[in-house]
Amino acid sequence: MLTAPGLAALMLVITFPLVFAFFTSFYDYTLLHPYHDDFIALENYQEAWEEEYLGGSLWVTVKFVLASVVIEFAIGFSVALALNKVNRFKTIYYLILLAPLLINPVVVGLLWRMLLHTELGIVNYVIGLFGIRSVNWLGDAKVAFWTVVLVDIWHQVSFMAILLLAGLAALPREPYEAARMDGASAFRCFIHITLPLMRPVIMVALLLRLIFAIKTFDIIFIMTKGGPGTATDLISYFIYRAAFFGLDIGRASAMSVGLLVIVLLLTTYLYRYMRSLR
Amino acid sequence: MAQITLKGITKVFGHDVVAVDNIDLEIGDGEFMVLLGPSGCGKSTTLRMIAGLEEVTSGELMIDGKRMNDVDPADRDLAIVFQNYALYPHMTVSANLAFGLRLRKVERDEVERRINKTAAMLGIEELLARRPKELSGGQQQRVALGRALVRNPVAFLFDEPLSNLDAKLRAAMRTELIKIHRELGATIVHVTHDQVEAMTMGERMCIMRDGRIVQVGEPLEVYRNPADTFVAGFLASPPMNLLKARLLGRAGELEIDLAGTGIAIPPARHGSLESYRDKAVVFGVRPEDLHAEPAPGRVPLDVKVVTVEALGPEVVLIASLADDQELAARLNRGFSAPVGSDFRLYADLEMMHLFDPTSETAIAEG
Repeated sequence: MLTAPGLAALMLVITFPLVFAFFTSFYDYTLLHPYHDDFIALENYQEAWEEEYLGGSLWVTVKFVLASVVIEFAIGFSVALALNKVNRFKTIYYLILLAPLLINPVVVGLLWRMLLHTELGIVNYVIGLFGIRSVNWLGDAKVAFWTVVLVDIWHQVSFMAILLLAGLAALPREPYEAARMDGASAFRCFIHITLPLMRPVIMVALLLRLIFAIKTFDIIFIMTKGGPGTATDLISYFIYRAAFFGLDIGRASAMSVGLLVIVLLLTTYLYRYMRSLR
Repeated sequence: MAQITLKGITKVFGHDVVAVDNIDLEIGDGEFMVLLGPSGCGKSTTLRMIAGLEEVTSGELMIDGKRMNDVDPADRDLAIVFQNYALYPHMTVSANLAFGLRLRKVERDEVERRINKTAAMLGIEELLARRPKELSGGQQQRVALGRALVRNPVAFLFDEPLSNLDAKLRAAMRTELIKIHRELGATIVHVTHDQVEAMTMGERMCIMRDGRIVQVGEPLEVYRNPADTFVAGFLASPPMNLLKARLLGRAGELEIDLAGTGIAIPPARHGSLESYRDKAVVFGVRPEDLHAEPAPGRVPLDVKVVTVEALGPEVVLIASLADDQELAARLNRGFSAPVGSDFRLYADLEMMHLFDPTSETAIAEG
């Protein structure tokens, strides 16, 4: 009874859009013809699949997800390992680490767009001091992809670091002492004790970031709008364009459902994995 | 095998937390030494300093005459068995045993030979392919022990290895450890807070309190002649009765006034007791030295029965003296008496102990 208002709110803001999108994906529903009167079954899905640029967008997304998650993991784990040894000023390091996470992604995008501005940005000014030529961070098709990846890393790496740090802090001390008595070097301790013991935390951190990274939209929307060309055209932005530039809500819905299925599969795997740990 | 010598060893944590305070201890080659004391007495810290897992703040740690203070734990060639076993969780039992040997570049055939020998010795052959989480506590304990044995170190360090086992398993492992010690003739330092372990396992025991050594000696010697009221009250269960008393008497005579009962002390034992004439003392007598029947050399004590605990093989009588001080007596299993009734106990005069009430140390007799 008492949960009824909460449930109703959830229905309204989550379940309704979900069901609406699913429902719409089977109709020829465009913003020029916003009616559910033309049932076309799987035609939207087929159209989306045959779309010329979908493959490119998927490829950009895969590259983006892999690059950002792998680099975030490498940096995050290094930072966590270093911080795990620190005792003094721990709170200050935590605060600094957490700061980017507390910023809204849209603000992150705006901030970096200004910092990276070709003529007026502080980044180009600073590298200019070292005699390096200005870089067109967001306008050059080759550079823009990595710029977006780096901004995402800047924003999200602390999530990885904090999660891994929590895992490291909870590791038992004794196996390390036993290994010290056995004569294991720090490197061997890392390979034979830290990595295997951290495996569950590492898996969860990677999967969570993977799921979040696939859905990345905000910084693309603010910084590059998928460009230049299709250099940063992530799938979420691709769908957005189909809906609000192509005005084809039905097809965008179909692609959303596809994306949702991928994320759901990953989430199910994460859930299963976490359950298997018990 | 090795001789371990601690000279003025001190451990200070942070700025001013003194965990171990200037202790001297000599552990002989092939000796089974038990470090005994309540939690927080510094016994584990002492062991960890010997192992090299804690730095020695000051003093000198020698193994076979060589200074070890700054030697890496791996190079001390000691093996430690931890209270919670500390097995490598993702490795099989076999890999757990092999880990230290592989790191020491022992040849593959030799590793296998030693694992098989150790496994046979501990009866864990059929567990070799399993992982620690598939083992019971007792089995994990054996594997932890095996990991130490397989290394063939110069000495073994046991950090309360039996305290996580249930009573029955603990008793069995106690016997097993004694057997292993006899077979290998290895130097063993065993830390425990369990006085039964200390009494039964150790060739010598070292009793610690507040970071200091209170008494070192053979178990029965320590049991018979506790150095102070702490040791007297710590060993055995129920522990020694420690009762407030006074020494009275005219010149040439000396008697203990225990709640109005006078216990005459034979002149031969007066000696150093003279200085306590007319002063308070602590009178100590073990529950097993109180009897229900009179005999030569026993002095009567009038008490009131508080409770009678029948334990099966024996009966523990809790009784009160005239001044309401309580004491325990271990009596034969046939004993019974109504609660609240008056009763006469007989104390073995030979087995009495006297302690200084301020310093709490035993008053040397004679």
